[in-house]
Amino acid sequence: MANTTKKTTAKKAAPAKTVKAVKATKTTAKKSCKKPTAAELKAAQEAKEAATFKVHSAPVKNVVEDAPLFFEKKLPQKDTLQVGYPLEKVDAMGLVTGTQKYVEDIDMPQNLLHIKVLGSPHAHAIIKKIDVEEARKMPGVVAVYTYKDLPRVMRTTAGQGFPEPSPYDTPTLDQKVRYVGDRVAVVAAETEAQAEEACRNIAKHVEFKVLDPVLDTEEAMTSKSIIHDEKDAYAPIPIFYDPKHNHCSHVETSCGEGKNGVADMEKGYKDADVVLERKYYPHYAQHCPMEPHVCMSWLDENNRLVFRSSTQVPWHARRIMAQTLQIPLKRIRVIKPRVGGAFGTKQEVLLEDVCGFVTLRTRRPCIYRMTREEEFMESRTRHPMVVKIKMGAKKDGTITALSMRIISNTGAYGSHALTVLSNCGSKVLPLYHANNIEFIGDTVYTNLPVGGAYRGYGATQAAFGTESMMDEMAEAIGMDPIKFRQLNHIKPGESSPIIKALGEGREGVEMIITSVGLPECIEKGKKIIDWDKKTKAYKKQNATNPTKKRGLGMCCLMQGSSIPEVDMGSVLIKMNEDGSFNMNLGATDLGTGSDTVMAQIAAETIGCKHSDIIVYSSDTDMTMFDVGAYASSTTYLTGGATINAAKKVRDQIVSVAALIMGEDVANVTIKDSVCYGKKTKKKVTFSEVANTALYGGENVKKMFQVGAIGSHISHASPPPFAAHFAEVEIDTETGDIDLLHYVAGCDCGTAINPQLALGQVQGAAMNAISFALTEEYMFDKKGRMQNPTFANYKIWTARDIKKLDCFLAESYEETGPYGAKSVSEININGGLPAIGNAIYNAIGVRLTRPPYTPEKILAAIKAKKAEEAKASKAPAKKAKK
Amino acid sequence: MLKKLTQFYHPTTIEEACKLLAKPKTAVIAGGTAEALRKDDSIEALVDITHIKELSHLDQDASTIKIGATTTVQEIYKSQKLKGMSGNFLKQVAGTVAATALRNTITAGGNLAAQLWWSDLPVAYLILDAEVVCRLGKPKRTVSVVQIINDTPAKFLKKGEIISEIHVPCFGNNTGCDFRKQIKTHHDYPTITAATRITLKNGMISEARIACNAVTPFPFRCQEAEKFLVGKKPTAENIEKAAEKAANSIKYREDYRASKEYRQEVFQVMVRRSLEASVEAAKK
Amino acid sequence: MQLNCKVNGKACCFEIEPNEMLADVLRREGYRGVKVGCREGSCGACSVMFNGKPRNSCITLAAMAEGADIMTVEGLGTPDKPHLLQSCYVKHGAAQCGFCNPGSLISAKYLLDNNPNPTEDDVKEALDGNLCRCTGYIKRIEAILDAAQQMKKSAKSTRGKK
Repeated sequence: MANTTKKTTAKKAAPAKTVKAVKATKTTAKKSCKKPTAAELKAAQEAKEAATFKVHSAPVKNVVEDAPLFFEKKLPQKDTLQVGYPLEKVDAMGLVTGTQKYVEDIDMPQNLLHIKVLGSPHAHAIIKKIDVEEARKMPGVVAVYTYKDLPRVMRTTAGQGFPEPSPYDTPTLDQKVRYVGDRVAVVAAETEAQAEEACRNIAKHVEFKVLDPVLDTEEAMTSKSIIHDEKDAYAPIPIFYDPKHNHCSHVETSCGEGKNGVADMEKGYKDADVVLERKYYPHYAQHCPMEPHVCMSWLDENNRLVFRSSTQVPWHARRIMAQTLQIPLKRIRVIKPRVGGAFGTKQEVLLEDVCGFVTLRTRRPCIYRMTREEEFMESRTRHPMVVKIKMGAKKDGTITALSMRIISNTGAYGSHALTVLSNCGSKVLPLYHANNIEFIGDTVYTNLPVGGAYRGYGATQAAFGTESMMDEMAEAIGMDPIKFRQLNHIKPGESSPIIKALGEGREGVEMIITSVGLPECIEKGKKIIDWDKKTKAYKKQNATNPTKKRGLGMCCLMQGSSIPEVDMGSVLIKMNEDGSFNMNLGATDLGTGSDTVMAQIAAETIGCKHSDIIVYSSDTDMTMFDVGAYASSTTYLTGGATINAAKKVRDQIVSVAALIMGEDVANVTIKDSVCYGKKTKKKVTFSEVANTALYGGENVKKMFQVGAIGSHISHASPPPFAAHFAEVEIDTETGDIDLLHYVAGCDCGTAINPQLALGQVQGAAMNAISFALTEEYMFDKKGRMQNPTFANYKIWTARDIKKLDCFLAESYEETGPYGAKSVSEININGGLPAIGNAIYNAIGVRLTRPPYTPEKILAAIKAKKAEEAKASKAPAKKAKK
Repeated sequence: MLKKLTQFYHPTTIEEACKLLAKPKTAVIAGGTAEALRKDDSIEALVDITHIKELSHLDQDASTIKIGATTTVQEIYKSQKLKGMSGNFLKQVAGTVAATALRNTITAGGNLAAQLWWSDLPVAYLILDAEVVCRLGKPKRTVSVVQIINDTPAKFLKKGEIISEIHVPCFGNNTGCDFRKQIKTHHDYPTITAATRITLKNGMISEARIACNAVTPFPFRCQEAEKFLVGKKPTAENIEKAAEKAANSIKYREDYRASKEYRQEVFQVMVRRSLEASVEAAKK
Repeated sequence: MQLNCKVNGKACCFEIEPNEMLADVLRREGYRGVKVGCREGSCGACSVMFNGKPRNSCITLAAMAEGADIMTVEGLGTPDKPHLLQSCYVKHGAAQCGFCNPGSLISAKYLLDNNPNPTEDDVKEALDGNLCRCTGYIKRIEAILDAAQQMKKSAKSTRGKK
């Protein structure tokens, strides 16, 4: 059965795949989008040629020429000793005994200053007058800064590759405030209470000119209120940027059956049997790391500025601090200790600037910690969006046209505005074949909390749109929703022109998809949730039970693994006398377990145990560079760097061992930290090798440190895949929704550490669920969040889980370390569509404005009833006529 | 928070506590969840009554359950002593309060005295016709929980007076109780809280209680609807009418959690279902 | 003012402010396993055992701890001599970022102290005040159930020996 389905699928998919490709990217001005230039035509032609890859033909590797690679051919798992096992997380024992140190867990310097920042009470206002003289004289107050006191450096807080694709629109302090909580003044005092007191005092001495706030995403571009009317905001790379219309970024691209490979949407719609158009409204959310943002800074004995920060991006932080504080980069050191969760919100350089100014000017150490309330209101959020999907499909399941139009709300500042937007397309649209695809996206400024990177990064929002639409379309063409997906999803050996068309602030990188574990995710997930049986049973049951209706829903997902040809990671490994290794890497373990994953990869490559690898991450003085933990990159990208470093180290070990044993290098093998000579039948331990290398030996007179640095960039961003399933029960009298069962299956390639990988799936799925059902920013009419506490912004507790089943469907990704691709982000994307589809399946109403609260569900049920009543009357009238 | 606080007392007798509480700018603390978050900076002294042994107990005899004021919600929830209709009902309600650590902190008396819209136990006290023992040193008075709630504890209690004990009558056969609330997660402030009690005699309703919280600013009994039910058969129609009356008798709170309209509509459903459940339990 | 209490079995006398919270005092005195995540008793990262029961130390006035017996995660076990619960957390991969672990371990200990035979629902209930954003709770529930099993087994075997 399964085989037949597969065959027909491949056949039917064929015309879609030959979508003779590709694009017309206009990440620049939208006016220029009419006529392609000669250069663009040429590029299109080249891309077209590039896209005529046959199935299973040239693997991506061949495109990669100078890459320092490495990866072995498929290693069956049995042959590995460290990779593929649920080995102990290297920091786990320290974490559960309370000995691991987060930012605040070191002994505080005695003269530590405490920082508090006065936030704006208005969503949009100009500071007319601000008098801080009284506050400056208050007990314990050491420094007070307003916009008058600090240099105005326009930059972005987004920790991204340099130059950043986010606009430079955020000075440390400004005369204008652009959302409730925006910085008005900074206070540093001997105690936190004194700093708070001073903030309250300043609040009494500020006069605002209150401006009309922009609070509606869809009206932002036509609003008379301009949020960034300052002259000095600009985009540091040549991309579209039009702040005069609150228009922060614009991306459009299309591909399909039109001239030069662009889409012919009209044809696509004409070819379709059914065309549907819907709008979906994914909502605001916060990451809610258990540890809020916190940063300390001090001057060290060499007058260098040291930051100890809960960050995902130490190197970006260092660079942005040099830029903001206007001091040489070499004077700055950023240390990332244990991080208490981040999920994207700490890919933001938020507190360091304030700490830096205070320490540089007072020459005293200081700490700035966000309260939970500030975390909600003043850190970063998931960009809420309006996602418009228009799809045309034939009754046989062919998708003839797929249009995605997005308006993303970045709030008051453009952090990650463009890249989250383009990821809506690039991490979602390639999942299904469509004869014509168009993506048009805009990001707008509003006077609401600032968007940023959040696990899922645009794919969460966009997948809600497409995956809801897939269900709606399946119903409209009379096809099973799962079959409709199976028919159209991307298969190994195929590519999507969208991948090349949409990069991050520039074109993407062409890629053939090689590993697709999605079919297994779907089949296994279906079984676990008992799809076939239950969908039938509930249909009957719902007809007889008047108040409790049950339903099932599902969705398919993809993401990426790192940003190809942008992200770089590097690793240093050196050998110690006892045969252990220090591994210093820039990749930032946020609790994800990347330190452990890297240790396993290094150990596998070198031939020792992962517990012999002492991992230290990350410190801009002590460890190698890494862009940081984001874009689902660490395992895939830094894993490559780890292999590169480990291979060199292994080579050095082999060469020393060969000298000791009098063996030919080619005849030395390694197992469990012992080197064996094939001919001489001798063996030497790693400890002997290390000691010989360091202190010399009979045949070794040239002593050296066994050690190496490995770097890696990727030329691909292979998507992990996932299928999620939800089973719900709805109470039609109260709107209450009960999530009876949730299933998440994920293909992450090889799971380097299956336990940790599964933990990523479970954590993301849980977050997805609570995002879909209970997490919500409640704003008042003036744009102030009313519920910035855990008491009122509800994330799920253990007691709320009925049944959550997660599993890994492994595949082998040839471009990834030992076959791995990413796992961390993708599974947060499933909650909205899977549960939304289940609700529809249960009660026949589609909620497009999540979260799916009882009140909204009940309102939708009533609206449906009213409509049905109307409809039943209408034909009666007609009949009369 | 409590910026002027300089004194902290740990009395071991009620008399001592009441004497201390009679002083100006002095407040009582037991669980302390409200005090700790209170932005009241006028308080200079706190009297911690959790060291008074007399106040922490939980007993049940044939007719009454006696709950000491500093008995924690968790102690009620996990009590081996509580039995029967009233006892089991109290346990059930206590188990829905907040989360474990908070249930270990919040006290039976504090939950009543704080008079908050999210409190659960007072709703249970109301439908069980509980009485409250208040002590001003040695002298004590016993009042109905309705009275203390309607007057608000802040006004009702004299300076220096504390709630020392809650008495809950044990209802026997022919009585059923039900408690339900709408919450987003298990640890949440409710949007709607509803509880009912029905006592049947010869197939007729001899006593009815309907109480709510969260839809109102403080726990409230819907007495008109209760009266309507007394002497009637527990038919679906009567129950629906009573629920409607209850829903119409309330001035609804509104906040960002839910609109008034939604609260009213669903409160009615919840009261109806609660009454049905109580009737079922009473029949057993 | 002075606070006399026991922390992890050791008699302590701390100099405190009357309005200080227990979490702040404990952290200042070196018990950094106590984490502060919300300051309103909602997240449970600050949970400590307070006379044998978990309590949110971020909203407990330190002065309330007069005479109290307090246990933080440091008192539960050390890397050299971990408590069975801690070992099970490690074994099952229940620690991701770890920030909430000290609090949830205290809750787990309270559960097993009072209920050696917990069901999955009992474990979920015991953890209802300990928010975790990393794990989705699943591995933690598995770890606690495993610890309960192991405790029962070792209790049986010691009884058997007697």
